[in-house]
Amino acid sequence: MAASKFKLAKPASFSLAALIAASVALAGCSSDSNGSSANGGSAASGSSASASGSSAAPSGKQATLKVELFDRGNSPQPYTITDSYLTKYIQDHFGTPNNIKMEFVPVPRSEELNKLNVLMASGGDVPDIVFTYDSGTFYRYAQQGGLTDVTDLVNQYGSNLKAFLGDDTLAYGQLDGKQYAIPGKRSITGKYASFIRKDWLDKLGMKEPTTTDELYDALKAFKEKDPGGTGGKVIPFGMTIAPAEVDPLIWSFIQPTTDEQKYTLTQKLGSNDYPTLLPGFKDAMQFFNKLYNEGLISKDFGLDEDKKQLGQDVQNGLVGFFTEDYPNPYYADGSYANLLKNVSTAKIDAIDPFTNSEGTHAKPAYDSNGMYIMIPKTSKHAAEAVKYLDWMSQTDNMVALQNGVEGENYTMQDGIPVVKEDAPTDVTNRVYNFGDIAILANGKFAGDDEKNKQAFVAGFPSQFQADVRKALDISDTDTFKPISFGHPIDAESKYGTALQDKYDQIIVKSAMAKPADFEKAYEAALKDYMQSGGQAILDERTKAYQAMQSK
Amino acid sequence: MRGIVYLRRYWQLYALLVLPLAYFFIFRYSPMWGVQIAFKDFNFFQGITGSKWIGMDAFREVFHMQDFYRTLRNTLMLNLLDLIVSFPAPLLLAVMLFEARPMWFKRLSQTILYIPHFISWVIIGGIVYQLFGTQSGMINNLLDRLGLDAVPFLTDKTWWLVIYLLTGVWQSAGWGTILYLAAMTGINRELFEAAEVDGAGRFKRIWHITLPGVKTTIVTLLIINLGNMMTIGFDRPFVIGNKAVLDYSDVLSTFVYRTGLESGQYTLATVVGLFQAVVGLIFVLSANFASKKLTDEGIL
Repeated sequence: MAASKFKLAKPASFSLAALIAASVALAGCSSDSNGSSANGGSAASGSSASASGSSAAPSGKQATLKVELFDRGNSPQPYTITDSYLTKYIQDHFGTPNNIKMEFVPVPRSEELNKLNVLMASGGDVPDIVFTYDSGTFYRYAQQGGLTDVTDLVNQYGSNLKAFLGDDTLAYGQLDGKQYAIPGKRSITGKYASFIRKDWLDKLGMKEPTTTDELYDALKAFKEKDPGGTGGKVIPFGMTIAPAEVDPLIWSFIQPTTDEQKYTLTQKLGSNDYPTLLPGFKDAMQFFNKLYNEGLISKDFGLDEDKKQLGQDVQNGLVGFFTEDYPNPYYADGSYANLLKNVSTAKIDAIDPFTNSEGTHAKPAYDSNGMYIMIPKTSKHAAEAVKYLDWMSQTDNMVALQNGVEGENYTMQDGIPVVKEDAPTDVTNRVYNFGDIAILANGKFAGDDEKNKQAFVAGFPSQFQADVRKALDISDTDTFKPISFGHPIDAESKYGTALQDKYDQIIVKSAMAKPADFEKAYEAALKDYMQSGGQAILDERTKAYQAMQSK
Repeated sequence: MRGIVYLRRYWQLYALLVLPLAYFFIFRYSPMWGVQIAFKDFNFFQGITGSKWIGMDAFREVFHMQDFYRTLRNTLMLNLLDLIVSFPAPLLLAVMLFEARPMWFKRLSQTILYIPHFISWVIIGGIVYQLFGTQSGMINNLLDRLGLDAVPFLTDKTWWLVIYLLTGVWQSAGWGTILYLAAMTGINRELFEAAEVDGAGRFKRIWHITLPGVKTTIVTLLIINLGNMMTIGFDRPFVIGNKAVLDYSDVLSTFVYRTGLESGQYTLATVVGLFQAVVGLIFVLSANFASKKLTDEGIL
């Protein structure tokens, strides 16, 4: 018995060793073949893209510049994400003249951060130009030594780039005096506007509310008199748990604050400033509680994180008032256009009702920077990358990338590119992803601030253009910018994402508590917030403020 | 010499084993190399080997986080409740299916019962929202028409738990019957016939033949379930949960997702993952030990 077992065991163990050896070889093989297929794939696509250019290219070794590109899965026929009118345009107008082969590396938009982390960790395979909106990620890469310091390169090759961005915007990409990222630039920094059903107000003989109190009266009237004839389904104030709906209301309750309070009590979670600890926040929650318990805001607002339900309710003519990112209702297939299909007499008007204790319409705005555009340390083409960005920053090139072909896609009117609405689909498709290609720009650039705004408005359906302009100007009234220390707060990068959930939880719990239980619900939720990192952020910011003052 | 003869005769069988073994080696064992991240201040520009050792610092930090205990509690609570509610469901279903006589009825109901298993949680989440929402959910619209008050199914903790558990049963009970049914068809038919001759009714037969016949299967599944006590699927709590019930719906997997992938705290996320694995292993081993003592059945 034992002998036979032995006989069996020996060959078995011998072959096991062989197996392990084989599987190791296999592992080597598979990673090898992966690598070669990736290389082969890119070489193939590259050669087809540069086939037209290679004959005209000047002699000398051609460099390949790899650039990250958001893929939203919406490339129209006959284009693909890596081979479209715009990628060819860049190859022909920047790549080929400079003997550079452009290669775009698609990254799914929704998994951008995870994918970027994987790319950065992979070392050699990472594109030469990567980007993110997330300041925490940028600071982490910079601190961990993963990024190229481009200070000298920008001075050497980036004169147009510097002029385009300006020192203010460039400063957002600096850490310890070194330029680790080239920030994109935002053409328009306004965020939010409020919108009301003007036709409902007219029916009730009310004027547009200009203060929070007047708004409250209008909401009450919407609820009681149901001017839209919704059969009791009316939602006077369309609410969600997304920033665009909660921010305008909450910030209007924040009291005037000293500089010290602004720096120490604000909490930056993700890329937004949160007023959790600022004086007046509790009053905002109290007001939320009142609105909810009187049935004035959407009952399920705590479940609506992506604003989908709100969009549906607006389109179905149930919502009387809501706040949003200022251009959102006005897109060609947006909620206003759809509302008009359902209720042809509907009229949405942009207003600015929330008023703070000083009588202004204070609301947050964006920083003047957009994405953090970064060149990984492992990149061998940092100079080419800076040249590319410098090329992109020149007004002519920017206009061409954002608008397409003059006379076909747009016409120049007083120096502003005006999109031709009657252009056929195959023509408009040329620039289907201009926002993702022109990484230096958030919003359209036409030269100066006013022109930028006009160019932006000119991109909307003509029936809404006046409304868009009104909403844009509202979003730009009485704004304040995010607070920045110019260096990361460690506790914020550590607890930021968790605290965003806790913050939403304070709102939901405070709002949904019975009025008598408000105090308890608010205090409990705030305590949880503070213990989950809020206190750590407060401590670190207080220290950082003291350090800043003593300098 | 004999070894060579043996190999020559059976090498094809071993060759068949190469792929599965390679799979386990590449995808199950070699990633364990990364476990050391839990003991390092991981910086992915320096890679795993280049990062600094920090000993147990990360463990200390995780064990000081309030969220860790809350998500740990929720994971155990949701899994335990799930075990109580969802574990017997497929067994009951399987017994009923097994007793059903008409073949076409058996086939048809089996297929219908399997379908929910193939629906992704994201879609189930959408269905749940449409059914149970307070403002526009079907059930609440119905209650409204009957003149009753709306029930906050998704935002009240207790109601949410009920919804969470029932969707679990709905989704997995049908699929869970497969193993039981297979075991039941393996029971010798003569036992049933003999029992019938001796005058045993339907419930007697179920109690004395069917259930003992699938005892091994029940124990095996129970052990596997206990071993999974510490791990919890990501999509179900993430999709069904919402801000109002975060106190209950936030579990270890969503915690790891948030700290690891969203905040880039790989070290902390690995610590939690390792902790889960170790405690999970302890659960399996003790469940196996207990079951061997009690029933002589085990999986190891």
